[in-house]
Parts: sequence; structure tokens; C-alpha cells
Amino acid sequence: MLLQQIINGIVVGSVYSLTAMGATLVYSILRILDIANAGAYALGAYVGLFSYVATDNLLLSFLIGMIAMGIWGIFVQKFLYLPLLGKSPLISLITSIGLFIFLGDFIRLWAGPQIKDFPADLKLPFSGIKTENLTIMSVWILVLLTTAILLLTLWYLITKTKIGLAWRATAQDLEIAKAMGINVNVVVAFNFFLGYSFAAAAGIMIGIMYNFISPTMGDVPAYKMLAIIVLGGLGNPVGAVVAAMLIGLIETLVGGYIGFFLPRDSIAFIAVIIILLIKPQGLFVRKNI
Amino acid sequence: MLKLEGIHVYYQESLAVSDVSISVKEGEFVTIIGANGAGKTTIMKAIMGLIRVKKGKIHFEGDDLTNKPPWVRAEMGIGYIPEGRRVFPDLSVVENLKVGAYTIKNKQILNQNLEKVFFLFPRLKEREKQLARSMSGGEQQMLAIGRAMMLNPKLLLIDEISMGLMPILVNTAFASIKKMHEEGVTILLVEQNAKKALATADRGYVLETGRIVLEDRADILNQKDEIKKAYLGG
Repeated sequence: MLLQQIINGIVVGSVYSLTAMGATLVYSILRILDIANAGAYALGAYVGLFSYVATDNLLLSFLIGMIAMGIWGIFVQKFLYLPLLGKSPLISLITSIGLFIFLGDFIRLWAGPQIKDFPADLKLPFSGIKTENLTIMSVWILVLLTTAILLLTLWYLITKTKIGLAWRATAQDLEIAKAMGINVNVVVAFNFFLGYSFAAAAGIMIGIMYNFISPTMGDVPAYKMLAIIVLGGLGNPVGAVVAAMLIGLIETLVGGYIGFFLPRDSIAFIAVIIILLIKPQGLFVRKNI
Repeated sequence: MLKLEGIHVYYQESLAVSDVSISVKEGEFVTIIGANGAGKTTIMKAIMGLIRVKKGKIHFEGDDLTNKPPWVRAEMGIGYIPEGRRVFPDLSVVENLKVGAYTIKNKQILNQNLEKVFFLFPRLKEREKQLARSMSGGEQQMLAIGRAMMLNPKLLLIDEISMGLMPILVNTAFASIKKMHEEGVTILLVEQNAKKALATADRGYVLETGRIVLEDRADILNQKDEIKKAYLGG
């Protein structure tokens, strides 16, 4: 029972970590909170579903959804955030909320307000595990594998490649990074491409796991994502993953053992309030900043 | 090599630098001295492209830099040692140096430059893998100098090499930039430590509240009464 709950928690936490990663990456470079990242989560799920219906190929629909949202991310930063850079971060925040609301309504206009579902029989190349007291659904394995692959890819890009070095330098000191010859426009575009494609992957996975997508599916993740990146120490990718797993586990364990008189989604925020009361800097903050 | 023609720069909506014209010839060591807040850093940032020039032009080797982004200027061969060192705190020493050589595509040249920096500052080689944030102020200054050397710059902009350093380290820092100059790097140094700066440079400008008020050979400026009184402590 405990093992089962922990596995459930990690599956949920995986999706959260991908959802929060986009906003974390954006924050670490531009110091703005990008709520519209959750718009890419919803829109990505729709693009993924439509691609799946059209191609009948899950891997391909993941790729199409992620690349489409990645390109969308590049547009958003180029035409919305870069012109606002240097102004108060509140302006960017309000802009991102506006864009997020717009996206929800755009989906409603384009795909209709009703809930849609993924086809029931996904052709996964592996099956689930079912023993007497443990169930691991094949979809969960899909979620865990996809998350692991994406996070490892991210880790590799950031720590081992030249663009990753540029990314870290830019996150630490944007002005000096420019003076050292780093074209920060390219770095920021790369950053948004990754962040938005991760959000799309998370949206597609949630669509598959709960078997429904809707124009408002990004609403709760938008706020939960904020809770996670604050908890993770604002702009710290590793912190965000740990915080996401923690929230996923707390939600499942509290829901599974204690039961709760409030909606499940409120648990994350209550946990954040408690943790921030004890540790106002978030769980993982750099020492000297 | 470098030519500023009547530049005006605003900083947070107030005029920080007005009608400044400066020229640096190839192979020269030029210094701009002035009190705190005279606009020295602003001039450096304007040359590097980190702050917008409202009026006037900046030329480098005949090219008009005025509207070029900073990374293009770095690629053209302008190195920068910023005020307060500004090393990347969470990058290791060797990563900091690699960022300095970001525009160099040829791996062989990059490794040569790295060897050169390590030869000049063996301390940096010892601490290769250490994070910059964990180093002392003096070591961070070495790193900032080394990072600028990684570019093999034609022109090196230095903003306050002596700030926050112990006197003995100030001498080391000046010795290392003097060495770079002897190897053919053109240098523009802004300094509060006027005595040291004028002793090392060929030529100097005096900046007062955003304007150039004097320009002459460094040894002549060193002898002027008004300079002695204002900047050299009597």
C-alpha cells in the first residue's frame, strides 16, 4: 500500500516537474514569472491529441506537440518578453497572465469547449505490471520514462554542451555574458524552446493518464507550477524537480492515508504555505544570493 | 584603433556622460582617471555596448560600433574586465575561462590561450575545478583578467583593476596588465587609483562629472598641480 502510494506520488510528481521546468528555466534567465507556460501545457495537449488521431503514432505526436510548442515559445519570447525586458517584472507577469487567458479561449474557439479524450487503446510497446498488491499501469511507465529521458537530456544540455555553458553564464550574469561574446538572444530562444516543449510533453502525458483534455486544463497547473518553483528556490532546475516530487508525494500520501476535507489540489498550496512559513527562501536557494 | 566621437550617454534618465571624445591608437596604453561617479564605468559600458549611446559615434578599427550588440563587439576583439570582477559565481574556474573564449571556434587556439592563462596565473590552474564563488577577492581578480585574456583581445577595456584589492595584489594586477600590453594588447583602463594608472599608462584623460577636462601624456599629467591636488593626494 505504501509502495503503491509512493509510486503514484512519483508519477504525479514527474508530470509536475516537467510542468514547472519551463517556468523555472525562464525565471532563471529573465527573472520573470511566465504563467503562459501553462498555456503551452494545454495547447500542447491538443496538438498532441490531434497529431495522434491523424498519425496513430504516439512518439510522433509527442514530437509534433513538443516542437510546435517549442516554436511557439520562441515567438512568445521574441515578440512579448524581449520588448518588455528592462521594464518592471510586474508588466511581464501581467502580460503572461493575459496571454494565458487568451490561449485558453483560443483553444475553446478552435477545438470547442467540450472535454476530449485520447483514444483508449494506446499502442504502447510495453505492458503494465500487476501483482497482488501493486499496480503499475503501462501509462505510468510511459510517464516515468518520458520524464526521465527529458530531464536527463536537459541535464546533459546544460552541463555538458557549449550552449549549456552559455545558458548557465547568462543565468548568473546576463550583462557580463553578453560582454563575453554570448549572443543572449539565442540563449533565451533556446531556453523558451526547451521550456515550452517540456510543458507540452507534460500536457500530453496528463491527457493520456487521465484520459481527458479541456481548454481549462492549464488552470490548476499554472498555479501549482508557481507553488513548485517558489518552493524549489526560484529558478533552480534541480530544486524544481525535487519540489515537484515532494508535492506529488505529499498529495498522494495525504489523499491516500489521511483523506482530506478540502480538494486535493489545495494540498500543494497548504504544503507550500507551511514550508514557506518555516523557510521563507524556499527549500533550495543558493547560499550567497 | 578606438575612437569615441562626442558621445552622450544617459544613465537612469539623467545625463551621465556628455560630449566625450576619446581616441586610442593601436599599441597604446591609455587611462581615464576621475573620481567616483564621474562616469568612467558608463564610458566602458558604452564602448562594450552594454548601455545605449544617445548621441555621437563609436568606431573600432574603422567600423561603426554604435549599433552593434555587445557579443559582436567581443567577437571583433574587444575584451572586458568589468568593475567588481563579476566572475560567474557558480561556474568553475575553467568554465569561467571558457566563457571568456566563447567566440573562439578553433579548439587549438582555445587550448593555447588556456595554457597561457594558466602559465601566467598558476593559482588558477590549481583551482581549475573550484567554483569561482569560493575564491578570494584576489583570486577572482586573476580570474577576471584571465577570462579577458582568453579572447586574445586586440583592445582590452579594464574597469577599476585595483578596486577592493590589497595593495600587494594591486601591484600584481598592474604587473599582469602591463605584461599583456608589452605583448601587443592595446589597453584602455579607467581607474580611481590615479597614481598607479598614470605611472603605467602612455596617455591619460581626466574625467569630471561626465566631461573630459584634460588630456595629455601620462608623465605630464602626473606632474600637474591640479591633478596632484585632486587625485594624487596633494
